[in-house]
Amino acid sequence: MKPLTIFKLVGFCALAVFILLPFVQVVQLSFTATLEHTGVARGSISLVNYKNIFHSSALSASLINSVVYVLLNVALTLAVALPAAYTFSRSEFRSRDLIFFVLIAFRVTPPVVLSLPVFLLFAKVNLINSPIGIALVHCIFNVPIAIWILESFISAVPREFDETALIDGHSTPNFVLRYLTPIIAPGIGVAAFFCFVFSWVEVVFARILTVTGGKPISTAINGLFGFNTDIGLVMAMTTLSLLPGLAMIYFVRNHVARGFVIRA
Amino acid sequence: MRSTNWRIWFGLMPALTIMIFVGVVPLSIVFHHSFYDIFTLESKFWVGGEWYVEILTSLRFYESLGRSFAFSLITMWIQFPLGILIALAIPKIGPLKSVTLVLLALPLVVPWNMIPAIWLSLINPDNGIIGRVAELLGLPFDYKFTALHTWILIVVLDTWHWVGLVAILSFAGLSGIAPGFYQAAAIDQASRWQVFRYIELPKIAGVLTMALLLRFMDSFMIYTEAFGINAGGPKNATAFLSLDLGEQIAGFDYGPAAARSIIYFAIILCVVFVFVRVNKRQRNAETEFWQ
Repeated sequence: MKPLTIFKLVGFCALAVFILLPFVQVVQLSFTATLEHTGVARGSISLVNYKNIFHSSALSASLINSVVYVLLNVALTLAVALPAAYTFSRSEFRSRDLIFFVLIAFRVTPPVVLSLPVFLLFAKVNLINSPIGIALVHCIFNVPIAIWILESFISAVPREFDETALIDGHSTPNFVLRYLTPIIAPGIGVAAFFCFVFSWVEVVFARILTVTGGKPISTAINGLFGFNTDIGLVMAMTTLSLLPGLAMIYFVRNHVARGFVIRA
Repeated sequence: MRSTNWRIWFGLMPALTIMIFVGVVPLSIVFHHSFYDIFTLESKFWVGGEWYVEILTSLRFYESLGRSFAFSLITMWIQFPLGILIALAIPKIGPLKSVTLVLLALPLVVPWNMIPAIWLSLINPDNGIIGRVAELLGLPFDYKFTALHTWILIVVLDTWHWVGLVAILSFAGLSGIAPGFYQAAAIDQASRWQVFRYIELPKIAGVLTMALLLRFMDSFMIYTEAFGINAGGPKNATAFLSLDLGEQIAGFDYGPAAARSIIYFAIILCVVFVFVRVNKRQRNAETEFWQ
């Protein structure tokens, strides 16, 4: 073996250990009884934490709540970002730079800056404790990202393709839905992946918008911390909270690195 | 193709409507509140720019600003060289490519409030993997009361969380380089450094600026992860900008919190403005280069 290959191999192993070590810790604790439970000694390996999750309706409901608002958010984001990305890719207009600027500015505005007024606004229009509220507010960082990703995929499709279809008498929305979306399917997958992830991991908005009900998984986990925290239960919940993300990573593993090639 | 106006607005309208509702409207509410002393939403009193003066003349604000800047710079100086290095080492094809990309994406899917909890249990001397090893080796690690240790923990945690994004974005940029460029470089007997400097770096510059902006803002305004570690301690050594704001909101200090939000948003606008200008210049330079 060449020395460079060995060096790379060592580097890869070091990276794998660095990234995986925290996950090993999480999974290991999730299968450990960290508190005394009936019939299970403290420190023994058991499934008691997972059983407790499914016995607690609040915990299992939080899993469903999170999945619901994240899926709503992904659907909503893609629905509004696709026409916008198509417009950005295919049209020249004067306010383009300004809109680009505003989109980026909101993308990087931290939730804590807007959390309070969003709460006040949503309280007025009855969107507190509702998955629709969280799905809407997460659009603030997901719509700009989705537009950016989709635009780079659409720009990779030659314009002649549009023109042929339009000459054939298809309307623009019809063309985008029936002909363009199949071609940019990997791009839609990548955009959906990033929207899913950013919505799934967000905590500040999700917490402030759920006062009495509809609590997401992150808030449910936070609620487990107390005087005598059952850290095993916390880690079991964390393990479950990783599964949807893992599934998403698996689906886009071959496309995730293709979305940003064209231009930033 | 210069499209008609209604066509453009038809395409942008849905996205803009949502952005106005969840972005512009709340921002206007904050702006309005920032000039009031608010006891309840019904009883509030006009105070003009008092909160702004108070924040902008307080030493605490500049200390937090400095800490946030320092944190951003440190994490970016670690994550960008490391992320680019990883991206360069990822094989362009084969199963190891997919495995590495999946590995790099893993920390991105962890809910943010769980990240400090995970790292705290990792360094826990009773049952944490690192904590027990450190105890065996006799290395004291006291993140609660030693500022340096808290900083190290947050920087390592942030690197673990985000180095994958930098690497994935850089790799995406690298995989867009046509093999012809590398062949030409080989014929010219270019060194590895020259290949990186004159072929790879310019090609990933666009994606890197976007990554730089995302990473700068996220680390500059770090909240959930840093708060979960030590709530700004010890003795405010990790009190970053967002933590000050979060504290005011939690304390129902709405007027000052609103003014602080507006000040932070102004900082964000300045940073984004600079970024957009740089990005545009870069894009122009690139088109000139390729023509």
